[in-house]
Amino acid sequence: MPFLSSTPSRPGRGRLLPALALLLPVLAACAPRPDPADPDAVAEFRQVNDPIEPFNRAMFSVHQGIDRFVLRPVAVGYRDVVPQPVRTGVRNVLGNLRTPVILANDMLQGEPRRAGDTLGRFLINSTLGVGGIFDVASSWFGVRGHTEDYGQTLAVWGLGEGAYLFIPVLGPSNPRDLAGFGLGIASDPLTWVGQGAAVDALTGTRAGATVVDTRESLIEPLDAVNRDSLDPYATLRSAYRQRRNAEIRNTNDSVAPSAAGSTGFGTGTGIQPPRRSDRE
Amino acid sequence: MTAFDRRLLLGVALGAPLAAAMPARAQQDIGRAASFIQATGQELVAAINDTRADAATRRQRVAAVLRRAVDIEGVGRFILGRWWRQASAAEQQEYMKLFEETLIRNLSARFGEYQGVRFSLGRSQQRTEDDVLVNTIIERPNSAPFALDWRVGDVNGQPKVVDVIAEGTSLRLTQRSEYSSVIQQNGGRVAALLDAMKRQIQQLAAREGGTR
Repeated sequence: MPFLSSTPSRPGRGRLLPALALLLPVLAACAPRPDPADPDAVAEFRQVNDPIEPFNRAMFSVHQGIDRFVLRPVAVGYRDVVPQPVRTGVRNVLGNLRTPVILANDMLQGEPRRAGDTLGRFLINSTLGVGGIFDVASSWFGVRGHTEDYGQTLAVWGLGEGAYLFIPVLGPSNPRDLAGFGLGIASDPLTWVGQGAAVDALTGTRAGATVVDTRESLIEPLDAVNRDSLDPYATLRSAYRQRRNAEIRNTNDSVAPSAAGSTGFGTGTGIQPPRRSDRE
Repeated sequence: MTAFDRRLLLGVALGAPLAAAMPARAQQDIGRAASFIQATGQELVAAINDTRADAATRRQRVAAVLRRAVDIEGVGRFILGRWWRQASAAEQQEYMKLFEETLIRNLSARFGEYQGVRFSLGRSQQRTEDDVLVNTIIERPNSAPFALDWRVGDVNGQPKVVDVIAEGTSLRLTQRSEYSSVIQQNGGRVAALLDAMKRQIQQLAAREGGTR
């Protein structure tokens, strides 16, 4: 990753370091290795790709606590209080603000047509769509949004995902997607537009709105997983990894809402996503 | 790499649970698979939307369609994966019974949710190795439509559903991960999974009663 080292340190490292520090206890919390004499067990251990499962499960319980008492209630309140058209507008604005990252990654992956879509959408939605509130590029011109991020680009460039990680609030991830998440923040022009309380308030508002918007879009799917799965941790792990692979291959552009982030719940759980709600 | 090589590799990687079933499966015809899904989907939708019948009657109709259309034996064994051979004969038998019940109850517990559901074939039907992926769009009142891909295989000359894929996520893979994890978290005991499945069926049955 040549540009990780050249990444300016303020936002990128500022958020990545705590996450990396969290990983230190991992060394002490490795999953029991499978019996090497049982090839099926070994094959499954490799396929599941979760060597630090006990640590991840601990992080998952932490997350479930936060989710139960903070994230989900806030998302439900947001849905109750804010009417649907406004929520759609918020989602569209967040998606529009992600344009620089999506565009950069379209290009880094050598996808000029998709890059053209992204740029065209940005120009149309920022103007005719009144600062991105209305997704007219999709509703009038039929150019639907798609999402890209640095984690996907690193994957297209041949970098493996590494061991599965579960990070509270961010959700399911892995070292590659986590690095991509950091790069996404570091490379976003909005991170660098200046300093001062006003800018910090804006970027903070945007981050908070992204979390709330994403969680709101996942109320039903996550409720279904928590209610129906015999092991929600394992279900989310499998769903995340499968869905991430589909996104990397661009086989299913309806997968993620346009405001989706590069890791964890932002790119969803794979179960009944809000497929068209981003363009209602 | 030929399809056979890939399949062999895949089989080895997944613990070869399907290896025994492979030779029986022949190439699937796209048109046949699509019309099979069309017919099966219409039957399911008709059963779900038949509000004159009570929930139990509707569940029985749905069960009959699923038993005919889904390769329950093959999918059930795939999902139990490497634990199938570690289970006793009695456990295998009970697992199959519970698996079928779970499949049916999962749908019948959602009769209320799926009231008024509509279903149509999507645009892209494609072949993957010996199977066909049939794309469908599921629409419900007051809810965003979503795409479901049905993987149709050939089991002893008959088209059968072998997997359902929602937005890039295969249900049988996710469920295998879930079941295997339950067994592992309980010291490798298949019986622990069977207990959990029984509890789940009870919960689903209670919800079916509530949604009528």
